[in-house]
Amino acid sequence: MAQEAAGTVGARLSPHVDALIRAAQSGDQDAFEQLVRTYDQSVLRLAMNLLRSPEDARDVYQEAFLRVYRNLHAFRFDCSFHTWLYRIVTNICLDLLRKRKVRKEEPSVVETSDGPIDRLDTHEEGAAAADPERAMWNRELKQRIDGALGGLTPRERMVFELRHYQGLRLRNIGEVLGTTEEAAKNCLFRATQKMRGVLGDFL
Amino acid sequence: MTCDSVTKLIPLYYYGELTPEEEDLFDQHLHECAVCTAEMERQRVLAAALDVRRLSPPPLLLEGCRADLMAAIAGGAPAIEKAAKGPWTLFLEALNLSFAGFGKMRQPAGALALIAIGFLAARFSGSLIPFASNGFRSMSLSPADSILSTVRSVKPDSAGRVQITVDETRRREVSGRLDDPDIQKFILAGSRGENAAVRVEAVGLLRNPGDSPQALDSLLNALANDPNDGVRLKALNALKPLAGDPRVSKTLSQVLLSDTNPAVRMQVIDLMVARRDDATVGVLQNLVQREENSGVRLKASNVLKDWNASIGTF
Repeated sequence: MAQEAAGTVGARLSPHVDALIRAAQSGDQDAFEQLVRTYDQSVLRLAMNLLRSPEDARDVYQEAFLRVYRNLHAFRFDCSFHTWLYRIVTNICLDLLRKRKVRKEEPSVVETSDGPIDRLDTHEEGAAAADPERAMWNRELKQRIDGALGGLTPRERMVFELRHYQGLRLRNIGEVLGTTEEAAKNCLFRATQKMRGVLGDFL
Repeated sequence: MTCDSVTKLIPLYYYGELTPEEEDLFDQHLHECAVCTAEMERQRVLAAALDVRRLSPPPLLLEGCRADLMAAIAGGAPAIEKAAKGPWTLFLEALNLSFAGFGKMRQPAGALALIAIGFLAARFSGSLIPFASNGFRSMSLSPADSILSTVRSVKPDSAGRVQITVDETRRREVSGRLDDPDIQKFILAGSRGENAAVRVEAVGLLRNPGDSPQALDSLLNALANDPNDGVRLKALNALKPLAGDPRVSKTLSQVLLSDTNPAVRMQVIDLMVARRDDATVGVLQNLVQREENSGVRLKASNVLKDWNASIGTF
């Protein structure tokens, strides 16, 4: 279990979160719901960015917080709750990323009769839409970035995601992934090098 | 510092992960080396380019996830486990003792017996794991709640014990009035479940979307995202009384331009007629320009004609 590998390093919890955890551990459902609401936006953002699919992000959210619900009694406050929660979330995401490596990943840009459409675009980019040349350049860049991210191993992808998009320190990333800060550094370096290789002429 | 060592530190420098001493040496090298300065610039451009692909979850997704989770817990997700030994543990211990005299045979025999129990006696009556108290007051629960068990793995060890992983799903029946808030919670969960037939039924039974934000979210989510045509049509039907609501209107516009089913698009137009404003006119004009289905195109054109609006955009 994640909690067995809990590191000794990690920020102590704020008294508010601490109290919520203790109340939830004694069976207070409202406290559990408040605890979920404290962390669930960042969990969903992480899953969405990593897996690039609302359906998969939803599954990760559900599975992660159900595991928290089932195992909260075993949380012993020997690491931060954030670290403990992220261990659960990253394990689920890594499993999904590994499965995807086996089956072919769905491209985010699909060809339609109206031209290529990016399934992940949630809004129109005004300036780009008005300038076809720029729109095409943006589209190609997005495809290349997706290709670059897709070329990383699940672990490299995770370290990069946690550092670049989530802003976690490499020391915390090491704790979350059950590895050393040095290993996380090496992973980040490899990830960056690979992406620079793929995006070469765009940089 | 050499160019080689600086290259390895570039990402760490960019993310502020160097020690102050390393950072000083790094800066010093950059001042003296144009090649490494250019490499550092490439790192910044890479990071900026990657920011373009930062994704935010769709606005309705978070609320949907929260509703799913709370419904799963209210519907009987195994609660926080107690330290005391449960009946299952006691049963396994008793079984282990009963094989004590089998000598070398006891491990495989015990494992085989447990696999057989897992597959043949899949149904257990009564509660094996303490469940969350859900405080249902106005519903009747079936007295014989059951747990469906599947043995996932059986691992004997050299000490004569066996470790078994069991998946358990609790099944029970609840009944109550449709306007009962607890019943509506289950219907909400059903409207987001995996089974399309259940979703069709549940979406049609969601009550008071005008007063219940969760019901409204669920309907909008079903309309915009459900892969099943029947579910989307049911959601549309349930949203009819709220066609003038700004959130509903916004989702209708999106669905009209993106749904793959012409029948859904036709019905969306029916609902959009309830709200005549510039935005709706714009969406219909846009649709007329790009719609492949002649029936849908004609319907949108007729609405625009009725409103004395031009068919095309200029």
